[in-house]
Amino acid sequence: MTEADEEKVEVVVVGAGLAGLSAAYVLAQAGVDTVVVERGDYPGAKNVTGGRIYMHPLRHYLPDLWDDAPLERHVTRETITMMAEGASTAITLDNDKFREEPYHSYTILRSNFDRWFGDKVAEAGGFVLPKYRADDVLVEDGRVVGIVMGEEDEIRADVVVAADGVLSLIAEKAGLRQAQQPKHFAVSAKEVIELPAKSIEERFNLGPGEGAAQLYFGTLTKGMLGGGFIYTNQDSISLGLVVGIESLMEREPKIEVHEILEDFKARPEIRNLVADGEIVEYSAHAIPEGGINAMPKLYSDGIVVIGEAAGLGLNMLITVRGMEFAVASGVMAAEAILKAREKGDYSADSLAHYEELLKDSFALQDLETFRHVLGFMENPRLFNFYPQAVCDIFTELMWIDEKPKPKISTTVIREGVGKFLNWSTIKDGLGMLRI
Amino acid sequence: MDVIVCMKQIPDLQQIRIKDREPILDNVPLVWGDLDKNAIEEASKIKEAVEDVKVTVVALGSDKIEQGILEPLAMGADEAVLLTDPAFAGSDSMGTAKVLAKAIEKTGSYDLVILGEGSTDNYSGVVASALAELLNLPMISYVRELEVQDGKVKAVRNMEESFEVMEADLPALVTVAQEINEPRLPKFMAIRKAGAKPRHEWGPDDLGLAADEVGQNALSVETLSNLAPEQDRKNIILKGNLAEQIDALVDALTKEGVLGR
Ligand SMILES: Cc1cc2nc3c(=O)[nH]c(=O)nc-3n(C[C@H](O)[C@H](O)[C@H](O)COP(=O)(O)OP(=O)(O)OC[C@H]3O[C@@H](n4cnc5c(N)ncnc54)[C@H](O)[C@@H]3O)c2cc1C
Repeated sequence: MTEADEEKVEVVVVGAGLAGLSAAYVLAQAGVDTVVVERGDYPGAKNVTGGRIYMHPLRHYLPDLWDDAPLERHVTRETITMMAEGASTAITLDNDKFREEPYHSYTILRSNFDRWFGDKVAEAGGFVLPKYRADDVLVEDGRVVGIVMGEEDEIRADVVVAADGVLSLIAEKAGLRQAQQPKHFAVSAKEVIELPAKSIEERFNLGPGEGAAQLYFGTLTKGMLGGGFIYTNQDSISLGLVVGIESLMEREPKIEVHEILEDFKARPEIRNLVADGEIVEYSAHAIPEGGINAMPKLYSDGIVVIGEAAGLGLNMLITVRGMEFAVASGVMAAEAILKAREKGDYSADSLAHYEELLKDSFALQDLETFRHVLGFMENPRLFNFYPQAVCDIFTELMWIDEKPKPKISTTVIREGVGKFLNWSTIKDGLGMLRI
Repeated sequence: MDVIVCMKQIPDLQQIRIKDREPILDNVPLVWGDLDKNAIEEASKIKEAVEDVKVTVVALGSDKIEQGILEPLAMGADEAVLLTDPAFAGSDSMGTAKVLAKAIEKTGSYDLVILGEGSTDNYSGVVASALAELLNLPMISYVRELEVQDGKVKAVRNMEESFEVMEADLPALVTVAQEINEPRLPKFMAIRKAGAKPRHEWGPDDLGLAADEVGQNALSVETLSNLAPEQDRKNIILKGNLAEQIDALVDALTKEGVLGR
């Protein structure tokens, strides 16, 4: 090692989230001198997800990692609930496929998972530096050569990996991304509510280790774009909601996200599920909604951008996806860096390989497929009219009073035609074909 | 001159949850006590001010100390002694002092031993005095200013209402108060290079101690209970517009005796 080499590392990763740790894990395993800088007290200290992680897209990315990973419960039941005023209608899917190994998806708590993953990176020879924040990139002759931390500290590196999450400062400082518009984000509030495993299994009708994923949309977001979720963990429940920042800003009268969350929790459908639980974690976080239209440039001389920092996230009303993209993009960036390292060339041309890999993967292809989702979701009828209409029809069918009931078919046809056959709904139906 | 700094890993107090009045310590990350950092900072300052100073950290902690020890080494220590053997776990203050004394003796030479005035977890503040006794050293406690000169240490003690200036011949032991300095945040390169500094791991055998002389087997004080004070939540929800809510809040706090005493 020369004197100059001693003052720098090969790769510095900013952010010990799923994306950054995945990249660092692959690099460290390949013997690359890698440092991960994380502003939190430990990896995962502040990281928020819903959370559920789909395993099938991931298994071949970090094949040796998942077997003893601290995941929570494998999801065996999916429920979507449409919420109206004072009523809700739920659709539940149980499928034996969900009980077959390898399991389809798991609930996950990032504070546990990321911390464990950080230890794995360290075991592989990577260096994880918590409690340090990157504030800027170091640029020399137009290329990124490291990061700046605080007033007088810096880390020089061949490549900087920006994995600093949704509001990525590093991508912005490196000039890879423009200032974002509010409509490209949603905001979320989430609570982790502790309950004994046995209560969770009883309340949600689950076997040991089995989990439920429940998604909610309709009046809970008070006409705004968004939805709510509940995921069962081993000994806790993750409960939260997501609301578009733009609709939140435009709303009159103003309302705070945590108030919406309180109202959601107070609904009888939810109240009993979390009764007597202790809130052990409260968090708020932004979510990218811009999809593929709002992605930054993914690489430049001496830098690549991965995970949510690269805008790799999908909010499709019924699910938020980002963790698989984070892992996959981290692994692909690492592969591109390994290739660049062989050539000793970390220029933009060389690192462009990362984008090629990403384009060929499910990540960018899914983002492309669902590029119209956001436009579709901006339709307020989705959050008030439709859930209300469905609940009204269902109530009409189920409600018995002293008057004679009409035939079921009469009810369905009368209500259905009346509510669902008009210009707006036909337009919505056509819009749906695009997503 | 040989300066020894004693440090102890403790659970990160900000991350401890209380459940049924008991602290939940599982999985809580370990950190250095704040006052321990003042101690190593002061040693580093002496090293910068006086020629030929070697600083050795003697650290008590878990097997997860590997990364943590980089911090004092990066802050200026030259060498580390790690007392991480599980046999040491659960020591009381006297037991801790005994282990530290043996380890310090084993380093061969010590002119100044520095500790925080207490550990931020138990804060019994006994270890330093016991250690001074075992090593037969003069001790100056609650030090807010420290100077080493001509084989002597001169210190200003914080007596709350007044300051006391004291002097002792080296070798000596001092405990430092939080106001003595502002611990530095080591730079990345210093942390990285700290990995190459010498470290020794010493267990009871190395210190010439038998298994029943250390840790939980050698408690002189038994902890009967360790409970958080009971806190009843009032569960008062204030209603009305902001101005009304503020009035109601002030009323409620006054009624509780929190305000307007
Ligand atoms: C409420 C909510 C629900 C979600 N639900 C799901 C879900 O069910 N399934 C799913 O797949 N995805 C979900 N997502 C999205 C998913 O959580 C993210 O896509 C994923 O966490 C992105 O990973 P990342 O590593 O890119 O970023 P992050 O996990 O955000 O990690 C970024 C890291 O960088 C650190 N950092 C930031 N700036 C700096 C700096 N300047 N210096 C040093 N460190 C820095 C942060 O502390 C953090 O550790 C959800 C997100 C939210 C908010």
